[in-house]
Amino acid sequence: MDLLNQLETILESDPLIDEVGLIHPSQFITLSKECSESSNSSADGAFRPANTKFWNRDHKLGISTEILLPVCKAAKSAFMDAMEQYKTHSDLSVNKHEDKNMVYPSSSCQSFESEVMKHSRALLLLSCDLGTAWNARKLVVSKKQQLPMFTDELHLSALVLSYSHKSEQAWSHRRWVIKMIAGKYSNLQQIIAKESELVEKIAERSKMNYRAWNHRCWLVSYMTREQMLYELKKSRDWAGLHVADNSCFHYRRRLMLGISENKQGDDPSYDVENYQVVKALWLHRRFLSLCLIRHWMTTTDGISCHSTSMANEINIFLDKELCLLDPCSTIQDMEFEDFEAQAIYSTMYFLWLIKQIPEFRKIELQEKLKAGNLKNILHKTCPERSFLWDVLEL
Amino acid sequence: MAELAVDKHVKYILAVEKNKDSFESVVMDHLRMNGAYWGLTALDLLGKLDSVNVDEVISWILKCQHESGGFSGNIGHDPHILYTLSAVQVLALFNKLDVLDIDKVATYITGLQNEDGSFSGDMWGEVDTRFSYIAICCLSILCCLGKINVEKAVSYILSCKNLDGGFGCTPGVFCCVGALALTGSLHYVDKDLLGWWLCERQVKSGGLNGRPEKLPDVCYSWWVLSSLIMIDRVHWIDKEKLVKFILDCQDVENGGISDRPDDAVDVYHTYFGVAGLSLLNYPGLKAIDPAYALPVDVVNRIFFSG
Repeated sequence: MDLLNQLETILESDPLIDEVGLIHPSQFITLSKECSESSNSSADGAFRPANTKFWNRDHKLGISTEILLPVCKAAKSAFMDAMEQYKTHSDLSVNKHEDKNMVYPSSSCQSFESEVMKHSRALLLLSCDLGTAWNARKLVVSKKQQLPMFTDELHLSALVLSYSHKSEQAWSHRRWVIKMIAGKYSNLQQIIAKESELVEKIAERSKMNYRAWNHRCWLVSYMTREQMLYELKKSRDWAGLHVADNSCFHYRRRLMLGISENKQGDDPSYDVENYQVVKALWLHRRFLSLCLIRHWMTTTDGISCHSTSMANEINIFLDKELCLLDPCSTIQDMEFEDFEAQAIYSTMYFLWLIKQIPEFRKIELQEKLKAGNLKNILHKTCPERSFLWDVLEL
Repeated sequence: MAELAVDKHVKYILAVEKNKDSFESVVMDHLRMNGAYWGLTALDLLGKLDSVNVDEVISWILKCQHESGGFSGNIGHDPHILYTLSAVQVLALFNKLDVLDIDKVATYITGLQNEDGSFSGDMWGEVDTRFSYIAICCLSILCCLGKINVEKAVSYILSCKNLDGGFGCTPGVFCCVGALALTGSLHYVDKDLLGWWLCERQVKSGGLNGRPEKLPDVCYSWWVLSSLIMIDRVHWIDKEKLVKFILDCQDVENGGISDRPDDAVDVYHTYFGVAGLSLLNYPGLKAIDPAYALPVDVVNRIFFSG
């Protein structure tokens, strides 16, 4: 219990903690030495040289691995007790004032409330997926309906996410907070923008973090069209730097869908850029091609002159795409991984493209592909997928 | 090629169930109900469900049920649809569904369906297609699927674009395919397109990954494989290579299966490895149903007796 008190005191005294980590006991000595060397005065109240269980400096919190289990157990036990008391007590006060249709928080109810918040905070830093603890906070905060409490929840979950990037519960908690704030407070757009930045920061540290990007995709439904366009522009640079991160392209696709759903008369224009050789890009290209094809399909209205122009557009597009296949037919040496990868991914892309092309264009495409020697490349690069050739009836 | 170390895995699972004092078990004890499902289903597939004390398990499960009808992950925790399914599945394994007040459980689940057909996980409202699958699977086992709005549930799932040739995540794909299978709605799926995406999950080592550029993981052996079986495209992957990959993920000394070779084992991956092998018809294992994720004889018992 004493360990728990220590932890909670530190958390109370330093509300600006932005990073939490586990420290091996032996590292405490190193850290103490570094600190005493760099600071002249020992008047820093947060720093206890003799403490080998918790380390708190510069708004960082370190917890010794040695005490992790006991303090976790203590926090859990304290939280469960507090929850029990809080629930019983709030039931009583509801019953008392049922006829007046209001709940008057008694002072002891408020103290149980603060116990629940205090213990759940400590507990969640140690065991971040404990849904019951997050729920308890939702219960308290939803009864109070005060913006500072909501922003506190964002702060706590951000802290948890700083070391536990994939915590499903933490991300879910943030979504709940945003849903609660949406429509009530005018700075929603600001909050959404900040939220998006947070994801980007976390994605920087933990590659291909599905949950982080999933959260960002969820935010899109709260964005204005301007925000979506801005995000699309911004993520283009990020995608350029993190070309293998499929999740970023998934986000861009979500934004594009959102933008096209919010169309205001003008047609969206999709850049089909020059991509480097990475699978994520080939997959992304599938999505873009699909959008283009569907776009052409939906703009035709059956009148012959329009179909001809659409046919021309598709033809030009296909001829350009086929140029991407040229390098593969001249590859002799499959030993170089890059060339092999290029051949495999581009071949799969074209097979997929054939599947997507509307029926009446298939025959022309098949002719072009036979000329481009696609079948041989397929057999050479990924023979285990040869069956797809038959599936497509080529 | 290595063989499946059945006895070691049984020993491992039984030991995990008893160990309540490590940091891992303290941090994971809020999802003990899921752990029970993974461990016990794996035991049943290995033919060793009788190694467990049925009455103890059932009495613990019932202590996890709340007034709302939903089940929590452990005693004293909040209820959630995830644990409700696991509880029902475990009771089905033991052929003890009759200890349930089925209406009560059904009420909890139907209460979680939203206007647009989607499902929330609990009273706090988080929506996810996984929860759609869970609701449909659970009510299906309890033989009262008609209590939800099935049409709306299906149209919500189809609107999620998880099945458009794979722009989502594979557990999500499994949940969508499973839900559609259980509601007789698989004809809405372009099976070639989806099968394509799924078979591309197989990497050189024979293992399956969840998304492009990610490492293979034994748990995807379940999600990708069962999806492929449900849409009748399992011949699009190299089954032998996958069997070898799963067997390489075993700890043959201490029992248990890990996410990939030489990593630490856990009950979660042990279940998915054994279930995956069952789907691949590995000899000596009971058959498992890809949609219900329960042994076939358990599913038959639910629908074809009484």
